[in-house]
Amino acid sequence: MSRPTRQYGGFLPAVLVTPAVVLLALFTVAPAIYAVFLSFRRLKVGRGLLGGGKPTEVWTGLANYTAALSDHEFWASLGRMLLIAAFGVPATVVLATVFALCLDAKRARLTGFARLAIFLPYAVPGVVASLLWGFMYLPATSPIGGGVIDYFGTKGIFFSVANVAVWGVVGFNMVILYTTVRSLPRELFEAAELDGASEFQIAVRVKLPLMAPAVAMVALFSVIGALQLFNEPTTLKPLANAISSTWVPLMRAYTDAFVDNSIYEGAATSFLLILMTVAATVVVSAVGRRIGRAR
Amino acid sequence: MYVRIGAGVLAAALVLTACSGNDTKPTGGSSSSTNEKIELNYVNWDGGMDKVVDDWNKLNPNIQVKLTKPSGTGYTLYNKLITNNKAGTNPDITEVEYQALPALIANQVVVPIDDYVKGLDTKYDKASLSQVQFEGKTYGVPQNVCPMVFFYRKDIFDKLGLKAPATWAEYATTAAAIKKADPKKFIGNFTAADPGWFAGLAQQAGANWWKADGDTWTVKINDDASKKVADFWDDLIKKGLVSPQPNWSAQWNTDMNNGTLIGWVGAQWGPNQLPSIAKDTAGKWAAAPLPAWTAGDTTVGIWGGETEAVTANSKHPAEAAKFVEWMNSSEAGMASLIKNVQAFPASPAGQQLPELKSPPPFMSNQPDYNTLMATAAKGVRTFDIWGPNANVTFDSYSNAFGGALQKKTALSGALDAMQDATVSDMKKLGFQVAG
Repeated sequence: MSRPTRQYGGFLPAVLVTPAVVLLALFTVAPAIYAVFLSFRRLKVGRGLLGGGKPTEVWTGLANYTAALSDHEFWASLGRMLLIAAFGVPATVVLATVFALCLDAKRARLTGFARLAIFLPYAVPGVVASLLWGFMYLPATSPIGGGVIDYFGTKGIFFSVANVAVWGVVGFNMVILYTTVRSLPRELFEAAELDGASEFQIAVRVKLPLMAPAVAMVALFSVIGALQLFNEPTTLKPLANAISSTWVPLMRAYTDAFVDNSIYEGAATSFLLILMTVAATVVVSAVGRRIGRAR
Repeated sequence: MYVRIGAGVLAAALVLTACSGNDTKPTGGSSSSTNEKIELNYVNWDGGMDKVVDDWNKLNPNIQVKLTKPSGTGYTLYNKLITNNKAGTNPDITEVEYQALPALIANQVVVPIDDYVKGLDTKYDKASLSQVQFEGKTYGVPQNVCPMVFFYRKDIFDKLGLKAPATWAEYATTAAAIKKADPKKFIGNFTAADPGWFAGLAQQAGANWWKADGDTWTVKINDDASKKVADFWDDLIKKGLVSPQPNWSAQWNTDMNNGTLIGWVGAQWGPNQLPSIAKDTAGKWAAAPLPAWTAGDTTVGIWGGETEAVTANSKHPAEAAKFVEWMNSSEAGMASLIKNVQAFPASPAGQQLPELKSPPPFMSNQPDYNTLMATAAKGVRTFDIWGPNANVTFDSYSNAFGGALQKKTALSGALDAMQDATVSDMKKLGFQVAG
């Protein structure tokens, strides 16, 4: 009896996934391949003072990659990004977990309102959030002591950028963790309570271990988010001297492509960043799995 | 739609043939009627430009210009034009600041207009033409000249018993006097956000960042004159007499508006921008000649200044050029620019227009504002030519000077970084660079 279904099933799934595959191929895979192609090319102007004829595209081998990798500013931008990630990722994961556990606590009141309040910043576009925080940081417009604290100082700027990023994403991650903790079987907590566990003990000893896979996923999202840091520093840039146009790797890729007008170097930087993102994803998810298995 | 455009091209070609006797090939189009309407797209970010375009549209019912404001100004726009050039989607006409024109020519974004616009040599002086003519071809009609000037809060200067400084040495002593009178006030700021501003100051000091000899470029961004300017400001910043905050930020706007910054090294177009920056201070500012390096020297650099150029993507280059010529060199066009955009014409004839007898609204207290501009314009000195990758130089300026201000290192070191970035990019692109 199952045979006809299987025959039919062999065809239907293919039809159903076709639109997704086509869209993915057209708008993600194809441009990515083109970008990789471009990263091995460069522009060469013709003779004459202003380059005479039309500039031509020529092969340049790995030159764009070696240029990026041998540029200390590239490594500096990577370092700045990692520094922000070192603040931002743990802060995001810890805050989201704490908020989720607090909201799930029996004694918690006004949870609906609190959940919305924590989530709301996620609904604020990154650029708007950065401008909003930027005004709070600037001495002339700061309600939070910008005149005394130098939010755009050589060290302060890392906190300032991380703060905007964390503020924006904590709510989203909190919702993921909160749904996870709500979907856990309630009788476990009741059993723990009957055994005399306090609310805090239940949260830390029972709920938290059960949430571990979700926490690992949240950590993964945060790491990828940190690698893609762009909106916040770009928006804060014109407000002070602290942020250069190559401050983090993505800003550098953008500057290469659209300011210095070399899409070729921009493509190379982007591709390097993709490789790093994939590597980071593999590492973080492997660590996450190990934590999950150890439990 | 296709037929209409096609017919427009044919009509244009006929007009052109009639005017100049040039042999042009009409492309497509099945019927021809001289009453066909053409629409030209024009991109410009100046406030008030819509009224100038309206004036043209009233006079030219058959060549309607549609103005759009770009999503970003300066190099954001130029780089978009360079990218979109390949796709063929550029507007017919674009605003180009002088320093960006060589880059747009090198990328073949704009086309020569010699076939459509004649006799510019008799209407403009050599300095203005050198900004739009390259290798014997003309790529635009110069719109304005923007000499740098010193703006100061006359009310506060008067109260403190100070005068506008005539030399940079006086600028430094005045800065110190202001600081002494009120530690919260500054005579001005050093802006790492505005490469054109520093370039203008370097021009005044005698720098010549780019020079062309045949097909070979000479690049000297870190020359002695530029370093002199950097060292001068470095000293003032280290002494705390000048604010290191960049222009155009919320901080700067507030400080300009509330009397923290009581001076500004700006340019002719200042009164067009100031209303949105320091709206509460209208009528309180005065403009004075830019301080000189030696007393009595009237040399000044320029900051900004633009031309309109016709793009390679335009299907109606003749009409587009006609609009550009009308706006920037006809009496009606220039009068409209003065009135609506507060421009100061590059054309010597335009500088005599009666519209210049009254000051821009923001400078209502200074009736002879434009007389001052005319005097300043006579002393303008620019670089021989702007480099073909001034975008790289300018980006490097913001990074290098911003970094130096942030880390409190010597500003003159930033000029070396700019020099290196510029030369290595030019060599990479295949330009011939001496040295």
